[in-house]
Amino acid sequence: MSDVLTGIEQPADEEAARGAPRGSGAVRFLLGKLGSALLSLALVVVLGFLLFRMIPGDPVVTMTRGRPVSPEQLAELRERLGVDKPMWQQFVDYIGGLLRGDLGTSYLFQRPVADLLTERLGPTLLLVGTATLLAIVLGLWFGIRSAWRRNSRFDKVSTGTALTLWSMPQFWLGLLLLIAFAGVFPSGGMRYSDTPPDVFSQTLDVAYHLVLPCLTLTAAVYAQYLLVMRSSLLEEMNAEYLTTARAKGLRDDLVRRRHAVPNALLPTVTLVFLQFGMVLNGAVAVETVYSWPGLGLLTYEALSGPDLPVLQGAFLVLAAAVILMNVLADLLYRVLDPRVRAT
Amino acid sequence: MTPTTDETRGVRAITWARRKQATAGVWREFARDRGGLIGLGGLVLIVLLALLAPVLTDETALEVTNTTAQPRQPPSAQAWLGTDRDGISVLLLVWWGARVSLLIGFSAALLSVFIGTAVGILAAHFGGWLSTTLMRFTDFFLVLPTLVLAIALSAVLPRGIGTIVLAIGVASWPTTARLARAQTLTIEARPYIERAKALGAGHRHVIGKHVLPAVLPLVFAHTTLVVANSIIAESTLSFLGVGDPSRPSWGGILQAAFNSGAVSQGAWWYLLPPGIGIVIVVLCFTLCGRALETVLNPRLRGQR
Amino acid sequence: MTENPGTDGAVLLELRELSVRYRAARDELPAVRGVNLRLGAGETLGLAGESGCGKSTLAMSVLRLLPRSARVDGQVLLDGEDVAAMRWGRLRAVRWASASVVFQGAMHALNPVRKVYDQIAEPILLHDSDQRPDEPPAVRHRVHELLDQVELPAGKAEAFPHELSGGQKQRVMIAMALACDPRLVIADEPTTALDVIVQAQVLELMSRLVAEHHIGLIMISHDLSVLASTCQHIAVMYDGEIVERAPSEQLMRAPQHAHSKALAAAFPTIGDPASRFAPATSNPLPEQPSERPVGEPVLRTEELRVSFRARGGRTVRAVDGVDLEVGENEIVALVGQSGSGKTTLARTLLGLQRAESGRVLFRGTPLPTSTSGLRDYRRQVQLVLQDPTSALNPRHSVYEAVAEGPRIHGLTTDEIGRVTRALEAAELRPAERFMSALPHELSGGQKQRVVIAGALALEPAVLVADEPVASLDASVRGEILALLLRLRIELGLSALVITHDLGLAWNIADRVAVMYRGELVEVGTVEDVLLDPRHEYTRSLLAAVPGGTHRAEPANGLRH
Repeated sequence: MSDVLTGIEQPADEEAARGAPRGSGAVRFLLGKLGSALLSLALVVVLGFLLFRMIPGDPVVTMTRGRPVSPEQLAELRERLGVDKPMWQQFVDYIGGLLRGDLGTSYLFQRPVADLLTERLGPTLLLVGTATLLAIVLGLWFGIRSAWRRNSRFDKVSTGTALTLWSMPQFWLGLLLLIAFAGVFPSGGMRYSDTPPDVFSQTLDVAYHLVLPCLTLTAAVYAQYLLVMRSSLLEEMNAEYLTTARAKGLRDDLVRRRHAVPNALLPTVTLVFLQFGMVLNGAVAVETVYSWPGLGLLTYEALSGPDLPVLQGAFLVLAAAVILMNVLADLLYRVLDPRVRAT
Repeated sequence: MTPTTDETRGVRAITWARRKQATAGVWREFARDRGGLIGLGGLVLIVLLALLAPVLTDETALEVTNTTAQPRQPPSAQAWLGTDRDGISVLLLVWWGARVSLLIGFSAALLSVFIGTAVGILAAHFGGWLSTTLMRFTDFFLVLPTLVLAIALSAVLPRGIGTIVLAIGVASWPTTARLARAQTLTIEARPYIERAKALGAGHRHVIGKHVLPAVLPLVFAHTTLVVANSIIAESTLSFLGVGDPSRPSWGGILQAAFNSGAVSQGAWWYLLPPGIGIVIVVLCFTLCGRALETVLNPRLRGQR
Repeated sequence: MTENPGTDGAVLLELRELSVRYRAARDELPAVRGVNLRLGAGETLGLAGESGCGKSTLAMSVLRLLPRSARVDGQVLLDGEDVAAMRWGRLRAVRWASASVVFQGAMHALNPVRKVYDQIAEPILLHDSDQRPDEPPAVRHRVHELLDQVELPAGKAEAFPHELSGGQKQRVMIAMALACDPRLVIADEPTTALDVIVQAQVLELMSRLVAEHHIGLIMISHDLSVLASTCQHIAVMYDGEIVERAPSEQLMRAPQHAHSKALAAAFPTIGDPASRFAPATSNPLPEQPSERPVGEPVLRTEELRVSFRARGGRTVRAVDGVDLEVGENEIVALVGQSGSGKTTLARTLLGLQRAESGRVLFRGTPLPTSTSGLRDYRRQVQLVLQDPTSALNPRHSVYEAVAEGPRIHGLTTDEIGRVTRALEAAELRPAERFMSALPHELSGGQKQRVVIAGALALEPAVLVADEPVASLDASVRGEILALLLRLRIELGLSALVITHDLGLAWNIADRVAVMYRGELVEVGTVEDVLLDPRHEYTRSLLAAVPGGTHRAEPANGLRH
């Protein structure tokens, strides 16, 4: 064949070759993702300001709603919150405060909001972390089995259970478990006051208190993961490369493990991270029911004020956590999917 | 010369016959899904009961001053589902609470779906910087913890049903926007859009004749899921105490129960009915929505 | 029907009364009906037929790869052993080791998240008892050897499928198929998604490997000329049955069954005067006026350049300085392989893509830029797309699809008459019967006629047709081409037909323009360009046509 002929496939070759130097691509990818995360963070900060300052009506009146207050008290509160200054000045103060780690002072607790948030972060991390890990393991395992044996009894029972759990408000499930296990597990809090101070007893005590809240949170979250995993695996089930794998003589479980699941995991992993906001929603409700001393309970307590500085602080921290999880999702996706790596 | 009426009628008849046929086809497919049918039946029943509450029950029995029963009584012949902390029948409370929960669920879903569809279609159709900005915004709202945002909104706005609807609607539109955008992009990548443009079609024709008719059915199916989500979100918000105390929804009833110590007293009849109401309604909506999605989105067919 | 035992006597594959039925909602749909077939060791057999004739089902039944809804009757004897009766363990051992498959779309048949090496090595590790999994050097060596056989560098073993071109992916599939030294390879449309020239390379490679390794081959295609260039025998399938089986040469020369004739006629031999201005059609064409007035060019481009911004900020010039004209009453074929810029040129002609520089002129006036100007322009120049199934909104009836153009242009008077005339001009008669139909109720050819009617409803002067028959079955192809020719003769409609298929140009075009990497490398009358190509690229395109050309040695003379 002529020279022209052999040259034809060249463009595609060049195309493929360009994907090769991955180092610089990785850096650009990382910077891009970080940049967009920072932009989101900035949006959160601005939104946090707008939500709590530019609302119709007087925030101080909102905060003292339903309580008898004298005009002097109102004026004092105004000055303390800084809402008597012009809007731009308030914004500058707000940003300046944020940069110094100053989120204002709680109206209910009479303490710096930043201290309150740090104190409550630990219990929330413990609850959310444990529940998410459990939910991932349970959700993926049940999801894969359900999809692979679609319409089997196993599938029907596990999908039905998941749908029912998904249809339940988490706080209500919490209330039911509280009644059901009254006396077996503690009804609230994180530890008993009379537990010996040694590490072992304390750990055991916290774990004992963690059982019900964690169970409640896991139930709703795993159901969501199961449904996502199941439908993304079902979507892969008709893929032609599975026919190739079967034609090669692979056993059914190898076809599933080596070929179908790695592909179906991709959308699921992204969703697991993207729906982190949903886990936090659940945490607010569950912490309230079990008086688990985390950020969610703090939000609930602040709401009864309403204690606007605390609400604002909680909003900022929770939103920032979700943005962080999104960055992680992008990074993980890049590791899992070679197609993303090339671009 | 204008077209004769006979002619226009003939043309309309073709169009209407086509639409009738399409609707009948969707119904046939939907009717094959047992879950979907059960969900639809349940919904019709519940909505009817909620609408007929003023006819079938006596609203004045909800007033604390009008009740003579003892508070916190377990179910009995007088009060089938027991009484609440004020001695009001729980059955009556739940029945009337359904009206509030459904009203808020539907209104919030409509608000959220309306914003979402508009943003999604605009972002996909026009492209360029508008699309980039809109999608950035959507992505941003998509990842925000919706409940926390809704809590913040309802904390700063005056209390009432309107605030809850607004808070849920504003917090939950991004999923619809994503769906509408994805579907619009799929449709606009089809060669028949290219053909329409080559025939001389402008934006209005492409969106009106091709994009909307293809996007709306999916959005409709999705709406049922959004209603389900909104009802759960409403109950959670009310439970956390930002609801309208004068017209308790199911979540509001549960909040009253929780705060009056129903858990420690083991007053299960006070806690179970509102929650079961939520689960049944949400489950019905979800079953309907999943069945509709399977019918309208052929890509999902055979998967569920 | 002739039965041909294997050249060395051993029967590799034998199908006895094979029937396959698919369980549908209510009834069973037969896909294969009572097929008998024998293939000797080292023999090559082509299986031809149009979409839906059951050829893929037949091939997949050999390794029991059919979906669960399929019911198989009859016997499939692979090396004398009935595949249907095998236990799962035995079947898994036979798969790939005795017979392997090259699937249709290499794009989807390879796992996107696993490296080429892992995918080729997988069957080796699975089947070769000599290759213990703890002996990776030997396996690695074998994979590199296989890649070398399909003319890919060893480095491609570390690549992921998306990093390869279409042809390279198909080569990987072939390497994978050869991994366990099977005695039978089944290739299901192995080159359909590929470009003409890449297709020629892949076919040559397969022929060579099959011969070198003495492998039996069953190759499936809708294109007889592809099969003729690779296989000793061809079997033609129609409606689930094999209607004719003959040596390739004989089948191409003198097909017996009516359906084989239709298939053979669909792809004309370039240079054969019998098919010049005569696409295969059941409907005789009107007489060609011998003298045609060649008028002013209707559509003309001057130094047209179009660029895209590719990923990574580079600009790619898709159309690079093109001067092309389509005269009154003339059909021009624009040929080239995929990626040569043909489609971009078409979109630019219609104002769907902005030109970087240069001009498009319609009857001497430049393409308008205003929205209303463009809309008026589009009444004159209309588009016919490749795949009629996706070019019609599945929710719109035929009437709405055809009336769409007139409605956009506000031509509301006598809408029914307009639609009727357009449908009848596109040979959908009687028009009333089709008006309320939805696209999915029509055949592929009918859908393409609806698309053409939709364009005709605006009474345009020029049609731009982008691969108008590429997605249609062979027997429909001739009918649609005949329609275009008839529209030219009867309505004086000019057309620019974009195609990768040189036979199409030979069938209907007056002039042909050859496009290569954004430039026109050769323009001239069909006879001049196709029978006496000047540019090397045109020559390589012609060389890649599987059936070859019908050309006398001194280039310009026609035989006969």
